[in-house]
Amino acid sequence: MSLRQRLFRLPRNLGASGSPRRLWWSPSLDTISLVGSWRGQSSRSPAHWNQVVSEAEKIVGYPTSFMSLRCLLSDELSNIAMQVRKLVGTQHPLLTTARGLVYDSRHNLQLRGLVVLLISKAAGPSSMKASCQNYDMVSGIYSCQRSLAEITELIHTALLVHRGIVNLNELQSSDGPLKDMQFGNKIAILSGDFLLANACNGLALLQNTKVVELLASALMDLVQGVYHENSTSAKENYITDDIGISTWKEQTFLSHGALLAKSCQAAMELAKHGAEVQDMAFQYGKHMAMSHKINSDLQPFIKEKTSDSTTFHLNSAPVVLHQEFLGRDLWIKQIGEAQEKGRLDYAKAWLHSTGCRDSRGYSQPAGAVGSRRYEHAHCLRTYFFSTKLRLGNFTGDLNFVACQIYILWN
Amino acid sequence: MASRWWRWRRCCSWRPPARSPGPGSPGRAGAVRGARLRADAGAQVSYFNLVKSLTSAFPNMYSISRFQHTTSAACCCSKTRSGEKYTDPFKLGWRDLKGLYEDIRKELLISTTELKEMSEYYFDGKGKAFRPIIVVLMARACNSHHDNSRDVQASQRSIALIAEMIHTASLVHDDVIDDARSRRGKHTVNKIWGEKKAVLAGDLILSAASIALARIGNTTVISILTQVIEDLVRGEFLQLGSKENENERFAHYLEKTFKKTASLIANSCKAVSVLGCPDPVVHEIAYQYGKNVGIAFQLIDDVLDFTSCSDQMGKPTSADLKLGLATGPVLFACQQFPEMNAMIMRRFSLPGDVDRARQYVLQSDGVQQTTYLAQRYCHEAVREISKLRPSPERDALIQLSEIVLTRDK
Repeated sequence: MSLRQRLFRLPRNLGASGSPRRLWWSPSLDTISLVGSWRGQSSRSPAHWNQVVSEAEKIVGYPTSFMSLRCLLSDELSNIAMQVRKLVGTQHPLLTTARGLVYDSRHNLQLRGLVVLLISKAAGPSSMKASCQNYDMVSGIYSCQRSLAEITELIHTALLVHRGIVNLNELQSSDGPLKDMQFGNKIAILSGDFLLANACNGLALLQNTKVVELLASALMDLVQGVYHENSTSAKENYITDDIGISTWKEQTFLSHGALLAKSCQAAMELAKHGAEVQDMAFQYGKHMAMSHKINSDLQPFIKEKTSDSTTFHLNSAPVVLHQEFLGRDLWIKQIGEAQEKGRLDYAKAWLHSTGCRDSRGYSQPAGAVGSRRYEHAHCLRTYFFSTKLRLGNFTGDLNFVACQIYILWN
Repeated sequence: MASRWWRWRRCCSWRPPARSPGPGSPGRAGAVRGARLRADAGAQVSYFNLVKSLTSAFPNMYSISRFQHTTSAACCCSKTRSGEKYTDPFKLGWRDLKGLYEDIRKELLISTTELKEMSEYYFDGKGKAFRPIIVVLMARACNSHHDNSRDVQASQRSIALIAEMIHTASLVHDDVIDDARSRRGKHTVNKIWGEKKAVLAGDLILSAASIALARIGNTTVISILTQVIEDLVRGEFLQLGSKENENERFAHYLEKTFKKTASLIANSCKAVSVLGCPDPVVHEIAYQYGKNVGIAFQLIDDVLDFTSCSDQMGKPTSADLKLGLATGPVLFACQQFPEMNAMIMRRFSLPGDVDRARQYVLQSDGVQQTTYLAQRYCHEAVREISKLRPSPERDALIQLSEIVLTRDK
């Protein structure tokens, strides 16, 4: 079944009353409806968010300080901190990344680690092998799984830092002196490498070659994903690549899904779970991360004021779906028309022009197209969500919190 | 090849006089110090003084080094040592490395054309492949020491690939850090594709190396090579700072040299020995050989930055000075010309500093003293590897440590 067919079928399934769903994911259904109602409320408020995270942290035992003390207290890191301070006042993106690490750590960065811990606890120890009972376990999670969560964070952060390297020959005069930028690059590379080296070190200590291979391949995927992201965002204001949603999914898997998917799988491997559970964990991590990406792609379209200067990527999920729906030629024509109206107001013009052509004839052009695109992507997200919930061995409680995190994160 | 042989013969002559200093066996002192690089700063201070006193006590010694261009008739012929005829160690090593670069490119399974092109850029077969050669020779030497089987195991050959990949990944990142324009006679990755992509290429090569490493399926080997990655980063950090005190500065320099260059060679030698032989004594021999040869290799590299012209090196010379780095020759020269201290501390940042420092170094005996120090490390390497049972590969490793001293590029 092609993705499009699936997309058009899903709303009917989901939109109907609970009965068809019950067959699909019977044990988790209550959670879904609960979560659904939460969504309608102010589920995105920061206070609520913090509440859910701390609930999740209670479940996994202790707070999520994945960047271990060993790493934070090392000479190298204090060296980095000293060097980063020299960058204050320059335009180098490393500053923004560093600021994000400090202020935003509870929101985005450590969540990957938290998911790894949650799934570790949800899966519990393997019944097949007694050997892993020797491992030390705190709050139902093996210490090696805690290290893995930390490694996941380290890899993610390292690439975040390496993403912020600037090309020296593309600098504008507004970017400030070349020397500052060179220095910023130097520190960004070094600190990224430092985080990667720590990740490698942690991986080696896990003494499990399969886990090393999984995480190394996740790193490879991530690097390729970042490469794609960079090359598409470079021509952001120009035109979309001619990619279908399947290519979009492949690339997004690399840049957003692979790390979480493979970390979740590795967490199962560490607890000696079999291939089936490992695969479920992989799927869970993958779909969790993909949904997150789709949701953030949707934001510019579902916000009340489309006149806001909210920019969106022409390679974001809704746009790619829309292009696939319209056909390439018509799409190019629409973009051309929108571009004539001036680049500054690009997003709005684009929405408007496509909106006018909408055959369904919604009264508000932007809203109309927005809602249809929203529908598409929403279906896509629901599809991921449903796959995720097919995970069999979640305990009710855990699933509840995991779902809340899912909804809030998204 | 003939010229390599010739250079090797020429350099052999340092050995008899080098043994004569006798007291305290400085080579051994160097090795012990090296092993405790991180922990024991006190030993380093005395070591620096030891080197100084040695070089001044035997002023003739460095005249027998690579700078002497007359034929040395008194060459000791180690040809007979193992009863087998020497061949070129590079040739011997290459027997097991056929298709090295093709195999590395196979590890870089990347679908995107440009990314693949970037990652493969340095695996064009034009590098010296110095590290893979040492690794396979060490593998065979250890195997034949252990049970007379001289074949290289597939896992040991993988270590050779991985060593070259880790080395290349670090080169790609170093070139961005140093904003370097050329390497091995061609443009650097960052100059062609820009810094943003170059960093990703480096990360990609590192991840491919880690995958290959994991597939060997040996957790000890993973730990050994992970140490290299950590050392490389720490070495780069050491390079950021400089020390006020001259003894500290020298220790700092040697520690940086170990971490940035020797650790990779030492640990990959150790890894193949672990795969080939269960005896921890052999692992230590392999490690010590690699460490000493590695440090010597880098010391000579630092000398060549002053004595070689850029055509030979494939990269610009005086590069270290331009980057503000005080390497061995500068530190030794600073003994004779204390006015260099200020330049070192400001990292040769004032106009004319680089040229003046270069002149000072060439006027001083900094180059000779650094070369002499490299000889001491090579001597120690030979002493270590000679503990293994004789084999053509063991002797090739001995020969290789001497080629390290005489190389001119």
